[in-house]
Amino acid sequence: MITVFKWIFPAGLIIALSLAIIGCESGDTEAMQSEINDRDAMIAELEAEVKKMTEEMAAMPDPSGSMMMEETGSRLQTVQDRGKLVCASRNDVPGYGFLDDTGNNVGFDIDLCRAVAAAVLGDADAFEIRLISAAERGPTIQSGEVDLLVRTVTWTTSRDSQWGNYTQTMFYDGQGFLVRKDLGVSSALDLQGASVCVTQGTTTELNLQDFSNQNDLNIETLTFEDTDAVVAAYQSQQCDAFTNDRSQLAAISSGFEDRDAHVILPETISEEPLGPVVPHGDEQWYDIVKAVMAILIYSEAYSVTSDSVPSAATGDTKVDRLFGLEGSFGQDTLGLSQTVAQDVVGAVGNYGEIYNRNLGPGGINLPREGGRNALWADAGCMDCPRGGQIYSAPLR
Amino acid sequence: MASGTDIPQTDSLPPPITERGIVGWVYANLFNSWYNTVLTFIFAAILVLTLWFGLGWIILESDWRVIATLGGNLIIGQYNIEKACPGQDCFWRPQVSLLLVSALLGMAWAISGDRVAKRIAIGVAVVSVAFAFLPYSLERMGLDVRLLLVANLPAVAAGWALARYTPLGSVRWIVILGVLAFLVTLVLLRGLPGVPGLQPVSVIYWGGLMLNLLLAVTGIALSLPIGIALALGRRSHLPVVKLLCVVFIEVFRGVPLITLLFMSQVLVPLAFPEDFPTNSLFRAGVVITLFSSAYMAENIRGGLQALHPGQAEAARALGLPGWQTTMLISMPQAIRNVIPAIVGQFISLFKDTTLVYIIGMLDVLEFGRAFIQGNVAEYLDGTPEFLLFIALVFWVFCYTMSYVSRRVEEHLGVGQR
Amino acid sequence: MSRAPGSFLTGLAYYQGVPVWRHALIIQWALQIVSGIVVVVLVASFFANITNAIQDRNIPHGFGFLSREYQTPIGQHFLPYESSDSYLYAFGVAATNTIIVSIVGVILATALGIVVGVARISGNWLVSRTALVYVEFFRNVPLLVQLFFWFYIVLTLPPVRQGYVIVDKLYVNNAGISVPWPSPPSWDAALVWMAIALVSIIAGAVLHRILTRREELTGRPSYPLITGGATTVVAAAIGWLIISAASGNAPFGISVPAPHGTFGRIAGGFTISGGLMALLTGLVIYTSSFIAEIVRAGIQSVGRGQTEAARSLGLAPMAALRHITFPQALRVIIPPLISQCLNLTKNSSLAAAIGYADLTNVGKTMTQIAPAVSIYILLMVAYLAMSLTYSLIGNLYNRRIRLVGN
Repeated sequence: MITVFKWIFPAGLIIALSLAIIGCESGDTEAMQSEINDRDAMIAELEAEVKKMTEEMAAMPDPSGSMMMEETGSRLQTVQDRGKLVCASRNDVPGYGFLDDTGNNVGFDIDLCRAVAAAVLGDADAFEIRLISAAERGPTIQSGEVDLLVRTVTWTTSRDSQWGNYTQTMFYDGQGFLVRKDLGVSSALDLQGASVCVTQGTTTELNLQDFSNQNDLNIETLTFEDTDAVVAAYQSQQCDAFTNDRSQLAAISSGFEDRDAHVILPETISEEPLGPVVPHGDEQWYDIVKAVMAILIYSEAYSVTSDSVPSAATGDTKVDRLFGLEGSFGQDTLGLSQTVAQDVVGAVGNYGEIYNRNLGPGGINLPREGGRNALWADAGCMDCPRGGQIYSAPLR
Repeated sequence: MASGTDIPQTDSLPPPITERGIVGWVYANLFNSWYNTVLTFIFAAILVLTLWFGLGWIILESDWRVIATLGGNLIIGQYNIEKACPGQDCFWRPQVSLLLVSALLGMAWAISGDRVAKRIAIGVAVVSVAFAFLPYSLERMGLDVRLLLVANLPAVAAGWALARYTPLGSVRWIVILGVLAFLVTLVLLRGLPGVPGLQPVSVIYWGGLMLNLLLAVTGIALSLPIGIALALGRRSHLPVVKLLCVVFIEVFRGVPLITLLFMSQVLVPLAFPEDFPTNSLFRAGVVITLFSSAYMAENIRGGLQALHPGQAEAARALGLPGWQTTMLISMPQAIRNVIPAIVGQFISLFKDTTLVYIIGMLDVLEFGRAFIQGNVAEYLDGTPEFLLFIALVFWVFCYTMSYVSRRVEEHLGVGQR
Repeated sequence: MSRAPGSFLTGLAYYQGVPVWRHALIIQWALQIVSGIVVVVLVASFFANITNAIQDRNIPHGFGFLSREYQTPIGQHFLPYESSDSYLYAFGVAATNTIIVSIVGVILATALGIVVGVARISGNWLVSRTALVYVEFFRNVPLLVQLFFWFYIVLTLPPVRQGYVIVDKLYVNNAGISVPWPSPPSWDAALVWMAIALVSIIAGAVLHRILTRREELTGRPSYPLITGGATTVVAAAIGWLIISAASGNAPFGISVPAPHGTFGRIAGGFTISGGLMALLTGLVIYTSSFIAEIVRAGIQSVGRGQTEAARSLGLAPMAALRHITFPQALRVIIPPLISQCLNLTKNSSLAAAIGYADLTNVGKTMTQIAPAVSIYILLMVAYLAMSLTYSLIGNLYNRRIRLVGN
């Protein structure tokens, strides 16, 4: 016993040191080799680091916000230096961000991230997904640790002002209710005194309360952290209804064995425009992400798919301009390459392809034609609108 | 001869049936008083019912598709996905670490000569080899990787032989080699820039059971020494030291681990400049370790407190200086007294590693849950089976720890003197 | 001892005739002061950096939101709650939910833990083995998994409209267990009566103590328990009657649960929600398995001679355990037991997973609108306050029972 005991201290110390080395992403090992004592090796390390940082900060001529902005350079530069785009996303939502059989992150949100990576780095795989919880979304994008937040974030005014800049709505969702048919409920307004299951950390909770208050429904809520528990509670009728974004309700209920015994109520109680968010404070980066989203949308409008990306001028001015084959719509002023659209569409496809792969027939099978998520119009035929809301600033 | 002294020479009677054999054992251990009889029947009924319904469900209703689909990903998370390891298969790196562990277990077996060490070593090797022949492995893993798994069996043998026939067979060397193996594991998993075949793999792809084990091993190795130091600090007569230790212990013991983990991801990075290299795994490891140390300190303090002051006084009377009294007399006895609590804390620490889901890390539990939720239409019904599987996995690891701790206790004669 | 006048400076270098750099007391204090300053500076700069970063990066912070309306429902709540209440009050409601789980959980877990711990060293083979299996199973599986397990078990109860109804008053279903519960027609009268009841309990306790002492001193039977109890009951009853007469109705009525509305949700009475059931069961069983091991280790840490001596004095096994072994074992048991109670409180923060509105669950919901950093700081402070209270009580008790001179 005593023999083992004697060795605990040195062993612990070595492990602490090694962790410090591993902990340093860029191999800045010397900085970590600060004085470590037995008592709380780790804390000392961390704090020595902090102290060093404080001294450095004190030595700076003017450590104000604007100075730091200039010093860190533009985000485009940072991303290109890093060689990797960092996106905050999730892995537990069917269609948007989930794990496939082999453990890869896939989904609609992930593909948007890939599109931006293809645009700024020329490589659709040069991205890293940081998985974050709902509560982390705000602080993560505010602190600027990530370049892009694509985590089924609903665009709201308060978030737009506090968290970061919303770039472009890439999916229009709305909150609905799933109920069992045998309850005889035909409208959400009949949910007087019902118990409703809801997932935490989304705007759904707040919308539900507003809906309940406005219509005097006195709804009881059961709040769960994750979808699996919510669905289990709903299926065993711990609650009478399940509220979530309609796309989610459709995706989840499609797996029910007794799908026909459930119905999604007609009311949509909220607007849920979803799209990527960038950190505040870098307009160039904001414009870049908006431009990439526009590329995705317009390449669908021009019927250019990943298989038919033109490499030589096609004669169609708009297409040529989009793909940088003749003139441009201003990609170069954003610091991107002239042919950025070729990289983007070639790697991830156009909006329709992304949709079909993840949310359409290849994924959770949400209908698109005639719905809000159809394109507003085909570029070729302005007189035959498709009636959707997916639209972006014209490329000109 | 007086006939009165004549005792008939007969064979001695056997003990009554209630004193011997199975019947005697049952009588002595189960029905020796009326309340024990009642208790026996109640407990027997509970056991039978549990087994009946439990086994019935497992045999008739359960559906293990989630585990069959995820297979090796549950063990290493996203470590070998294309993104983590572009252009090559990184599956072999954790396998080599496993080989090192096997060899160490083989050494431990040879040194201790204990049947527990033997069972653990052989168990790990057999499970690894069996894994190489599962349908999942045949489908997804290359021949090289499966050979590495099979190599665990010779690795145990090699470790055993190493300890038996070379001077490396001592506790000291096992500790040294253990630390080395840990370092090699970290370097292997992390990769070395510029070395072919060892391209760096970002820690964000470390996951699965591997992540739980890494966090737990680090936490266990570090929290015991830190805990001992904190316990001594808290009992110190130096007021500043005592105050610092008390504050540290109470703060870290006083808040839930999930809030600490959250803060480590949200607030701690703010203390560093924006372009400072950050590593969420490292921060999580630090937080888990410090959290566990605070508990460890309290356990050890409990042990110190139960020691009779005569022990320390006797040591002082023999002329031992203060720190030797503490480290050689008080501390070993104190630790011996609280082995169950310490091992309990180790086990807690290992289980608490599942809480990293709060900060978006894909440990073995969260990997499966995220997969189920992301593919809810196909796999939702598999949730109970998946949870049962996780329970089983954690149970095996934790039970082994607690079993070892009981053997150590027996070895040290706790409760016998 | 006299020194030459010129050696004043050298004199400074001595304290109690020992050079200061070798004087144990001075070295100790110097080191302590230095380490104290270093730690304080490091911690302060750590927080200063964070504060700067929060301002520089324009991260929302501050606690102004606390007085705004929360506008979000809270599932189960023990304090009255409306969605128009403020964040601060909602936080308090959630904290009460956690405190109730923690107190009930600690009591149940300790009781169950002691039972299982004693069963672990029982002479009955089946009992001790079952206790072993219990401990080894429940302490070796992550709590989160266990909570889900109990959550799914609760969900196997029938839904509310097909639930069990016992004599029209007790409702058992997967949404919870509803029981009749005292409810006051008006809080004023109820509070007055509760004050009276409190005074009667104190009076009874004082009387009990006086009579016990008299019995101990004089040896005359004084019936402290009966007298004290009777005093309490009679005083409280008189208070009840007076208030009933004065205000026209009794301070407390009984609220009986009953199905309500189109969905047959149970209203009235007192409901232990399904989430709370699962949470409490999970926490109690999980924690009790640890407490059982602590109790066993504590009992075994008491020298065997103690038990043997007690048995040879003629004490029955149970009596020996209760009067001789257990009190000594407490010294080893108490510190880790406090840890476990703290654990239980903090582990209740996993409640979000199974839908009980505890402090963390509500806090996470609040991060929708309120700054996440502020919410988490509040959460940490709240848990810390709870834990310190436990620690304080535990340590005071610990001080009372520990070996003298240790």
